[in-house]
Amino acid sequence: MTAAAIPRRGDRTLPGPIEGGLEFLRLLSRRPSGLVGFAGIVFFLVLAFVAPIFVPNQESGDVNAIYQTPSAQHFLGTDNTGRDVLNQIVQGGKEIIGVALITAFLTTLVATVLGSVSALVGGRFDAALVGLADILLTVPPLIVLIVISALARPTNFLALALVLSLLGWAGLMRQVRAQVLTLKERDYVEAAKSLDLGLTHIVFREILPNMRSYIVIHFVLAMTGAIYAQVALIILGLVPFSGKNWALMLYFAQTQGAFYFRDAFWFVFSPIFAIILLQLSLVLFVNAMEDIFNPRLRSS
Amino acid sequence: MTPILSVRDLSIDYRTRRGPVHAVRDVSFDIEKGETVAIIGESGSGKTTLAVSFIRLSPRSARITKGQILYTNDRETVDIQTLPDDELRQYRWSECAMVFQAALNSFNPVINIWEQFADTARAHGMKDSAKIHARAQELLDLVHLDPDRILKAYPHELSGGMKQRVLIALSLLLEPQLIILDEPTTALDILTQRSIIDLLGQLRKKLGFSLIFISHDLSIAAELADRMITMYAGTIVERASVTDLFYRPRHPYSVGLLRAVPRVSGAMGSVASIPGSPPDLIRLPSGCTYVPRCPLAIAACAEREPDLVPVDTPNHEARCIRWKTVAEQVGTAEVAVAEKIATA
Amino acid sequence: MSVADSTVAGRAVIELDHVSRAFKVPGGTITAVDGVSLAIGAGEALCIVGESGCGKTTTGRMLAGILHPTSGRLLYEGEDVWRKKGNELSTFRRAVQLVHQDPYASLNPTRTIFQTLSAPLYRHKKAKGNRDATNRVRHLLDVVGLTPPDDFLGKYPHQLSGGQRQRVAIARALTVDPRVIVADEAVSMVDVSIRISLLNLLLGLRSEMGVSIVLITHDLAVARYFAREGRIGVMYLGRMVELGHSEALVSDPAHPYSAALIAAIPEADPRITRSKERVALKTAEVPSLLALPPGCTFHPRCPLAEPGLCDVQIPELLPLPADTPREVACHVAIRERRPAAELLA
Ligand SMILES: Nc1ncnc2c1ncn2[C@@H]1O[C@H](COP(=O)(O)OP(=O)(O)OP(=O)(O)O)[C@@H](O)[C@H]1O
Ligand SMILES: Nc1ncnc2c1ncn2[C@@H]1O[C@H](COP(=O)(O)OP(=O)(O)OP(=O)(O)O)[C@@H](O)[C@H]1O
Ligand SMILES: [Mg+2]
Ligand SMILES: [Mg+2]
Repeated sequence: MTAAAIPRRGDRTLPGPIEGGLEFLRLLSRRPSGLVGFAGIVFFLVLAFVAPIFVPNQESGDVNAIYQTPSAQHFLGTDNTGRDVLNQIVQGGKEIIGVALITAFLTTLVATVLGSVSALVGGRFDAALVGLADILLTVPPLIVLIVISALARPTNFLALALVLSLLGWAGLMRQVRAQVLTLKERDYVEAAKSLDLGLTHIVFREILPNMRSYIVIHFVLAMTGAIYAQVALIILGLVPFSGKNWALMLYFAQTQGAFYFRDAFWFVFSPIFAIILLQLSLVLFVNAMEDIFNPRLRSS
Repeated sequence: MTPILSVRDLSIDYRTRRGPVHAVRDVSFDIEKGETVAIIGESGSGKTTLAVSFIRLSPRSARITKGQILYTNDRETVDIQTLPDDELRQYRWSECAMVFQAALNSFNPVINIWEQFADTARAHGMKDSAKIHARAQELLDLVHLDPDRILKAYPHELSGGMKQRVLIALSLLLEPQLIILDEPTTALDILTQRSIIDLLGQLRKKLGFSLIFISHDLSIAAELADRMITMYAGTIVERASVTDLFYRPRHPYSVGLLRAVPRVSGAMGSVASIPGSPPDLIRLPSGCTYVPRCPLAIAACAEREPDLVPVDTPNHEARCIRWKTVAEQVGTAEVAVAEKIATA
Repeated sequence: MSVADSTVAGRAVIELDHVSRAFKVPGGTITAVDGVSLAIGAGEALCIVGESGCGKTTTGRMLAGILHPTSGRLLYEGEDVWRKKGNELSTFRRAVQLVHQDPYASLNPTRTIFQTLSAPLYRHKKAKGNRDATNRVRHLLDVVGLTPPDDFLGKYPHQLSGGQRQRVAIARALTVDPRVIVADEAVSMVDVSIRISLLNLLLGLRSEMGVSIVLITHDLAVARYFAREGRIGVMYLGRMVELGHSEALVSDPAHPYSAALIAAIPEADPRITRSKERVALKTAEVPSLLALPPGCTFHPRCPLAEPGLCDVQIPELLPLPADTPREVACHVAIRERRPAAELLA
């Protein structure tokens, strides 16, 4: 008997991360819109997190060259202080996408843990959590956001992400709970129970892996939600951020009256385009994911 | 007399990413008017693929690579494959009706049984509601259901057996000459199953249609069939009258299937499963496809696929070069195969 | 002394004692299982048969301690299981394992066969380290006839056929060394051609490891084959109507319902099946569990029913004085001291 037969990760029969990734790309490649979305996401991730390493941050602009239209020197023109717009787009994605990622991560984590525990434990704990979630769901989120932001004044983006996830978990938590409630009726979960494998095993080994696709999709959806929310908050001036960020660009464009200058078109619309394109990429990607994870469509 | 349905050298492939699945290979048989033929074989042997092609409802990935399906009524003989669309619609239901596998779930849940009847009838040019209603009542009566109650009911209000009977009634709506039933009684209770079998027997006598039914349940075949077809790996391996197949099988696979079902009355005999599993229909072996599972296989079996040759009588054919050895083991007595093998 | 006592006298591993189970459904409460008593001896092969909805699965789930009875007791080695707590309860849980009907739903699609089988081994300290676990899993796969085992370790359920999955499910049950396996329709979804080998596998576990097997099925031919040395219990609308040695029950059913079932079964033998005597029931209509008839629930369909007796009094499961011991819940058969099959003939 050789050790070679002991299954390890990386064995031919087990899809490791690389094979899994390749399989995923292969499936994605059959859905052109999804591929476009995926390319868009990669593009924005590179733009936001890699490009700033190579493009130096331009602190101050040339006051003689404000509101310029695109030229060889300034691809997207300049802003109200004469700074390069393209430079700001490059620098300004990090925070938006960062907050979106952290928010999505926290939201998904909290919602998944609470949702599955709630479904599995049941009883009063379940009732209490569901009640709390319902309350959160009935109040209009933007208003709560505005109130919380006004009171708490989140001054860094981690705080903003916290506030956003505090408000966002309820919806997903209810959905996760519903999913787990059906999954827990599955025969293999019943078998795990009668084999006495314990709650942790049942949650993390039997139930959650079957919700991977679901969780990934909701992670991306949470990102889109977080992007809209923070853009709204920043444009309304409720988050006293400094630094560079697409939403801040819009905020300044608005407060500095850039809307009234015809030549400021590129300054105003570049961040809008960036935000829209990013959201579009995410949505296209999610739609394709829903197709891919649907096994019935998958086999065809 | 010309057979009502004549299948000639039919081959059907499914296109898949791994390559073509040879789901049906060189299948030929005839069905006479008023006759009941049972097609048996384990899961994946191509029974449904074959039957669905008779009404040209194969999935898009299926392709008939070879052969003909000829249907003959009082007037003419038509080739199903070349039938124009409007005639095809007429042919389905009014000449040949099929009740699909797992059809119990195929009802539209939001319309009641009367509307199911009306929709089907209208789709085939029956316009007069009163006439359709009268016909529906007559048919439900025929399948021993209370028409007034059933016509108003929604599918979920009916039990499995009732749904199955409604489906049979629905398939009779346009007085087809040929009815195909794919696994008509699986998922039904014993007593319900019994009533469906009895019902089919009565209807067949009364209405004189031909019946093809597909089942891996041999007992229903024993009960109803005139002739039997055993399929294995997409092809016919044996064709015989019902008594020949049950008491004088000549293909080892038929023998295997007969031994695999225990019985309730009589001696138990030597009941046994068929070892192994059917071949991959994409990469078929060159010789007889049953070789890896066959207790009688010899070297010659693996050389080339045997032809379907007459054994014992001209009406009994088997695709096996060792059929004489099978005959020695099983003999001709009208005793269940499992018993004979146990005593041998 | 009842049959149950005579076969497994005092040696019952597990026993249902007058258990009932009710469910709330739209329109009221149904009693899916009503006062069923059943003792399962060590190494026994027992079949429960009956039509859809008669409470077989519910009974099986109560046997396995997955479902709490509404009333009655579940005894494991003579002790009331539902009085136990924590550790003891989980010891019991492991002692009785369930094998489900649908081999496509009973294995987790995201876990390999090795992962599925090794988890209980690790959890219950039956294996130390990867190598030990692998060897044990190999052994289990070998026991259930999945050979060579190494071919299966890294496979996912969707890469296996229905029969193979069912074998994995059996191997998984064996990881915790159970005393009883409850196999709920464990063979009804696998192909006819391999059913017998699965039944033989279960029977082999019984003879080699002394595991008791309760097979739930709606197929009497399967029941007869499986329980040829054991007992068959016939259920109708939540009650056990007959319980006895398999051959006697099949050849000479004591309850009119069993007689009707056996007469109705089509058989894989044209001569026998076409000449079988039917038992004519008064109606094919099965009463709803929401509106059960009073007295014997079979009386509206029963050709032997006697007004004033069967529609009034609920018959108890009593031993029928005959050559082969068995119990039957039928006023007429008990009074006449003869199985219903003879009375109907
Ligand atoms: N749409 C499809 N695409 C590819 N392969 C298919 C398709 N449908 C069926 N097959 C394959 O063709 C073969 C024959 O399938 P078919 O459904 O005709 O079998 P069957 O005899 O009816 O089986 P069962 O008793 O399970 O209903 C099988 O190997 C099956 O996997
Ligand atoms: N969790 C539940 N909630 C409500 N009703 C239930 C529940 N489980 C079972 N029932 C009902 O109890 C009755 C008995 O069900 P059970 O599943 O035990 O029958 P069965 O004999 O196993 O049937 P089958 O042969 O169809 O599996 C049925 O009427 C069923 O609808
Ligand atoms: Mg089929
Ligand atoms: Mg059940």
